[in-house]
Amino acid sequence: MSCLIIRILKQIESDKRLIGLIIAAPILLLSLIYLLLGDSGYQPKIAVKGLPPQLVTALEKQDCSLITTDKEADTLLRDKDADGVLSMINSSIHIKILENDAVKTGLVTAAVKNALTEYMPAGSMTTEFIYGTETQSMFDTMGYIMLGILSFFFVFIIAGISFVRERTGGTLERFILSPIKRWQIVAGYTIAFGILSAVQSLIVLIYSEFVLNMNIGGKFVEAACVMLCLALCAVSLGTLVSIFSNNEFQIVQFIPIAVIPQIFFSGLIPLDTIPMGLGKIAYAMPVYYACTALKKLIIYHQGFGDISSYLFVLLGITLVLSAINTLALRRYRKI
Amino acid sequence: MITIQSVSKSFHKQKVLDDISLTIERGEIFGLLGPSGAGKTTLIRLITGAEKRDSGEIFVDAVSVPDRKVLQRIGFMPQNDALYTDITGFENLRFFGGLFGLHGAVLKEKISECLQLVDLSQDAKKPVSNYSGGMKKRLSLAAALIHSPDVLVLDEPTVGIDPVLRRKIWEEFDRQRNSGKTIIVTTHVMDEIQYCDRAGLIYEGKLIACDTVEQLRKMGKGSVENLFFFTKQGENDL
Repeated sequence: MSCLIIRILKQIESDKRLIGLIIAAPILLLSLIYLLLGDSGYQPKIAVKGLPPQLVTALEKQDCSLITTDKEADTLLRDKDADGVLSMINSSIHIKILENDAVKTGLVTAAVKNALTEYMPAGSMTTEFIYGTETQSMFDTMGYIMLGILSFFFVFIIAGISFVRERTGGTLERFILSPIKRWQIVAGYTIAFGILSAVQSLIVLIYSEFVLNMNIGGKFVEAACVMLCLALCAVSLGTLVSIFSNNEFQIVQFIPIAVIPQIFFSGLIPLDTIPMGLGKIAYAMPVYYACTALKKLIIYHQGFGDISSYLFVLLGITLVLSAINTLALRRYRKI
Repeated sequence: MITIQSVSKSFHKQKVLDDISLTIERGEIFGLLGPSGAGKTTLIRLITGAEKRDSGEIFVDAVSVPDRKVLQRIGFMPQNDALYTDITGFENLRFFGGLFGLHGAVLKEKISECLQLVDLSQDAKKPVSNYSGGMKKRLSLAAALIHSPDVLVLDEPTVGIDPVLRRKIWEEFDRQRNSGKTIIVTTHVMDEIQYCDRAGLIYEGKLIACDTVEQLRKMGKGSVENLFFFTKQGENDL
């Protein structure tokens, strides 16, 4: 048995990247989770309209920044000038919030609750969302994120592994010694997996709408376009990673680096509540653009015009990665 | 005609090919002989352009390689079978033919012609994963022939093949040569030299002899193999 242990450890030792990964990846991911889910120090912006002054005083003691305004609540929330708008309706406090997200809703209601206990412990409060209702499940408000993450993850893995298999099987060496141009190889791969993921997106969307009641609201074509563009990104990234991997195992090793951080920055956690401006990292993540576009479609019921810029960014990332891949293929044919 | 002029190649500072010069004539079977690791595959990879030479020149009919137009004229059969095992033999050939710009009726005709040539017409619709070792080898050869190249580059085409099939494959090379193709074939099996017209002997990255097979036999006192031992002895004496 000892010979088996030694052999396995020797194999691992020969793969420096694996050692780095075993040690660095958990540290990296844990730090990320700490930063993302820890005490963010984010102060919710609460707008007050016509509240009794004692309550305003009580609110001022809470960890939040108060705005006194008479602007329309919906405008304030949509423009992100406020996270919550407070008003009095029938002697009960009414909180209006943009959407039922994981962090801000909690911060706003906590501040109001604390102030309320001080001012009038018997007082009641109601919450209203512009998008969605309080009774919505987590799946209703967050499900769209999984649409993006899943399509990215699977296409990344499949494209990466199938390209690596071309290499280990020797077929790449064989077909690259044909007059085919390098960019044609990259484009061929991207288009083939694009077709696959177009089919996948449509099936997943139809299932989500009609079986899981996700309420995509007839935005199938738009949502499928988003998922397709994201999948193209995933193919390019998978191909890039596979050019620098010697076997399937090494592709899998890239998952904690290339895939998992994207999940954190997909919109699961509101970006502006992430401390130290780390939320800006999201701008480097394809999944962020796709999930934001999906949110606009599914939660805000916006149309093609509102998401086109996100699609362009995704296509742009794909183009840049494809260009890098075309150059990187020089490793296998010098012309 | 393929001309190789003082070609050298190193990997990680280790010299794999050292100042190789030789000429391969049109319409001959040229054997590259040598033990494993002698540099045969590297030389072939330099000819196809998969690898970049450090110095020297290689011309295929006066065109310096690597060159994409030259690739169109080369049929390459790598050491391992390099086939897609999850699709059928027919689909493999359709892919490789398509890479060389064949399509439509011409491609179909070429595929059935190549399948017939390697005696796989009956098995064309089966997935390659169901093929035996010999069948894969034959399909691999068919894939190298699909675009009617006039130069065939074959890396250890008979390794791991039973004697009967081995002879059959060499007979096929013979036919290809007689139809005007130039064939470069590597092998570490010495007795296969009998099927070649001329051969180059590579040993530790150096070309130790290059001549007609008859002449090589004479130099090796009856056996070409002896030439390797002479070289080794010469080294030991130094």
